[in-house]
Amino acid sequence: MNRRPKTLVLVFQYLFLVIMTLFALYPIWFVILASGRVGQRLYTLNLLGMFIPTAFTFDNYQIMLAGQQHPFLSWMRNSAFVAGFTTIACLLVATSAAFAFSRFRFYGRQAGLILLLAIQAFPGVLSLVPVAQLLTALGLYANLWGLVLAYVVGNLVFTTWLLKGYFDTIPIEIEEAAMIDGCGPIQSFLLIGLPMAKPALAVTALLAFMGGWGEFVFASVLIPAPDARRTLMVGMYSIANNQSVPWGLFAAGAVMTIVPVMIVYMYFQRYLIGGLTLGGVKG
Amino acid sequence: MIAWSGRKKALMILAFIGPTLLGILLFNIYPISYNVFISFTNRNQYHPNPDCSTFLTNIIEPTCWPMFKESSGVSTPYSIQTPAFQNYINLVGQLFTGTGLLALLKLAICFVPLIVTAQVNKYYDRRLTRPVSGIGVWIIGLLITLLVVWVIDAAGAIASLQTGSDFFIVVFRTVLFVIITVPINYIFGLALALVLNTDYIKGRTFFRVIMIIPWAASTMFIIMSLVWQFFFRDVGVVNQILKVFSITGPTWLSIPTVAFGVIILVNLWFSFPFCFNIILGALQSIPADQYEAAEIDGATYWQQLMNITLPLIRPAVVPAIVLSAIGVGGFQMFGTVWAITAGGPSRGAGAPGATELVMVYAYKQVFQFNAYAKAGAFAVVIFIFLFFMTLYSLRITRITKGAYE
Repeated sequence: MNRRPKTLVLVFQYLFLVIMTLFALYPIWFVILASGRVGQRLYTLNLLGMFIPTAFTFDNYQIMLAGQQHPFLSWMRNSAFVAGFTTIACLLVATSAAFAFSRFRFYGRQAGLILLLAIQAFPGVLSLVPVAQLLTALGLYANLWGLVLAYVVGNLVFTTWLLKGYFDTIPIEIEEAAMIDGCGPIQSFLLIGLPMAKPALAVTALLAFMGGWGEFVFASVLIPAPDARRTLMVGMYSIANNQSVPWGLFAAGAVMTIVPVMIVYMYFQRYLIGGLTLGGVKG
Repeated sequence: MIAWSGRKKALMILAFIGPTLLGILLFNIYPISYNVFISFTNRNQYHPNPDCSTFLTNIIEPTCWPMFKESSGVSTPYSIQTPAFQNYINLVGQLFTGTGLLALLKLAICFVPLIVTAQVNKYYDRRLTRPVSGIGVWIIGLLITLLVVWVIDAAGAIASLQTGSDFFIVVFRTVLFVIITVPINYIFGLALALVLNTDYIKGRTFFRVIMIIPWAASTMFIIMSLVWQFFFRDVGVVNQILKVFSITGPTWLSIPTVAFGVIILVNLWFSFPFCFNIILGALQSIPADQYEAAEIDGATYWQQLMNITLPLIRPAVVPAIVLSAIGVGGFQMFGTVWAITAGGPSRGAGAPGATELVMVYAYKQVFQFNAYAKAGAFAVVIFIFLFFMTLYSLRITRITKGAYE
């Protein structure tokens, strides 16, 4: 496979790479350009301005951060709140369940694992009405905590499977040795299982956080109004869904939302890919 | 973990998995039961409220619970329909008529040549020499399939199923979407991975890092979908570029086929980095001596690809393909379509729009038309399908290796 191919083939391979790079980069590059444009247009009249920055200002960023037109910082705070607590709760609940599914032998264990996955196949969009009614009954409708609750359960099955797969790869002999020394199941979970599962926990946390940060449908239904209570995605969607869209502001908000995530993803690239395939869980 | 047993063990297990079970019960089992119940009623915009004096309604409807009772409305309550299955009859009833069964039979026959082809290939694989190569068998098989499709008029069968039922229009369109989008994503992912898995390309790390970007952006799909939508707007990027060559571009997203193509393109942008990374990981685990041995035997690049690379990455890639086909990037696609076309362009009042996939259709039924009961029946039918697809995908993939043990 690693023979150096003919020059023509090599040229085609580089061409393909360049095209895919442009394809991958251009939308983001375009948003960055648009965020620095004067006026509220996403396009410019000169062709060149669509590919390289002709004039760049930070006005749009200032307006967004000042928050007079749109409570951008509140949105960000709400999203961080929801995503943060989703991550914490998800890790707390899912690690213990995953540990139990991996280590304990009990009746219905295998069936339970498979049923969890199959039940999760119920489309989320269609469970929105009952979930909204349930949250209303619990007094958590239009409340960020209600959203956290819905997200935690939404992430639970995937997270449990991922972590269960990882626990399965940790040799049980260590825990058996500890048990001979008088270690109970809770201690072996807290003192042995958790510390050894750190890489998987990091990946799970990142995925759960991003799930909460970027989710749109549940957030738009479960947090109806007012503007300042919304999460980031719903807020950005509401900016772009008006008659006259302030594209410059939208683009500035988009850059501030996406670029940090991109940097995190690039930094954690290796762990992410490893984490998704680790323990045999794929997808 | 056998040191303890009996009641202590049960309590311990409950403590570990109790919170998960409670969450699943409240946010998965309850919505499913609710949807099943609602699907037997006539709840719609004319009968939005529950009748709390009915036994089942009183239990399942939160608005009937004591802490919540005073806020329920005054309009006509919904009730169980007669016959109870009316919503299901409206959705899929025509399947069980003569024409419906005939059309189904015709569609089933179309798959026979494909299955035969796969079996023939398997048979040849077990022999030392094969008269026709694998690709050749597949080409012949596909040609025969096309012939069968043409002879028994499969298009006519699909059309006859689609008349008078939104359900089949939407489902066939979604299946078409999955059949197009998933292979495209994986072909691009495979091509990229093959190129970047070589050691003579300069700057491989750079390209790999770049390819992470759409993946990161795909977690915030709603924003990037809006950006993509802008490219194809009336005064969007594409038309701006065309203007330079003094061509007046159309409103792309109001052309049904273009709108469908744009959805596929945007989904490619979101999905190919994931496919690329999965495939690259699988490629890197192939031992190099396999290729060395093939080199010595004089195998060409193409032969190495077909006989070493593809079979060896299959165990890692097939699960990912199946899961993405039935997941939110395939059959359950919602967010991207919603942000770009919202199901449009419209094809007349009442008819589903050209990009109205299953989830978009369901969302519209609930939140725009308040047709809760219809959407409930729809949800149940789709859920039954997805439930068995999930179980099936678990069987064919290795991800349950731990569970099936």
